[in-house]
Amino acid sequence: MVKVKASELRKKDQDQLKKQVEDLKNELSTLKVAKVAGGAPAKLAKIKVVRKSIATALTVIHEKKLEKVRLDSKGKKYQPLDVRGKRTRAIRRRLTKKQENKLVLRVLKRKQNFPQRRFAVAK
Amino acid sequence: MAAKAKPDAKKTGKVLKKGLHQRKHKKWTTVRFRRPETKVLPRKPKYARLSVAGKTRLDKFSTFLQPLATEKALKIIETFNTLVFLVDPKSNKKQIKEFAEKLYNIKVTKVNTLIRPDGKKKAFIKISPEYEGVDIANKIGII
Repeated sequence: MVKVKASELRKKDQDQLKKQVEDLKNELSTLKVAKVAGGAPAKLAKIKVVRKSIATALTVIHEKKLEKVRLDSKGKKYQPLDVRGKRTRAIRRRLTKKQENKLVLRVLKRKQNFPQRRFAVAK
Repeated sequence: MAAKAKPDAKKTGKVLKKGLHQRKHKKWTTVRFRRPETKVLPRKPKYARLSVAGKTRLDKFSTFLQPLATEKALKIIETFNTLVFLVDPKSNKKQIKEFAEKLYNIKVTKVNTLIRPDGKKKAFIKISPEYEGVDIANKIGII
């Protein structure tokens, strides 16, 4: 069995995707029964493929659900937490690039007015 | 210029002694102090914590993990018209009944459950006599 491709799933709409997930889950349950009742190795190998297909389908469903929310909240100061990106807990707590590179006005002026000069020896 | 009223000597004396704003103390009639009602503002979140509802984790497919096809289980199918399944430990008998009826197109009279020593839940799903347990088991693929 060929794994379902996410690019193909994205063309479908929500109802079709839900139906796809149901079909895949039905297939998975029959495969699990086959595993218990001593199925052919072909069937047993299929289990992994079907599981991953269900996962991709559910991912696409979730993506589509969030699409509208993303558009609505784009550019806004406060975005919903699931739009912000999960990254890792530590990364979320770090200072932003802007905050890190912030300078005191005095230092900023100094840097602007007296930048690091670079000289080269003329040939 | 407005005519200044003559300050009341008594009043000024009191203010000097006790301060300009004198709070009237309520009389406490009980021994214990209970926090007085304070203003509680309703929530007005600036952003949603969860903008999209998540999927339900216990649906009809995830309750049934696998059917049991042991010797004992097969005997139970034949004699008692009952299917034996390993089931999600979080599911309850009502759910098992409902989902079994939906998934396998049967009528369930009764569900008994137990939790095995290895932590998995076993469900004995008794089917109504109009359905033959052996046929259903064949259809599902257990036998």
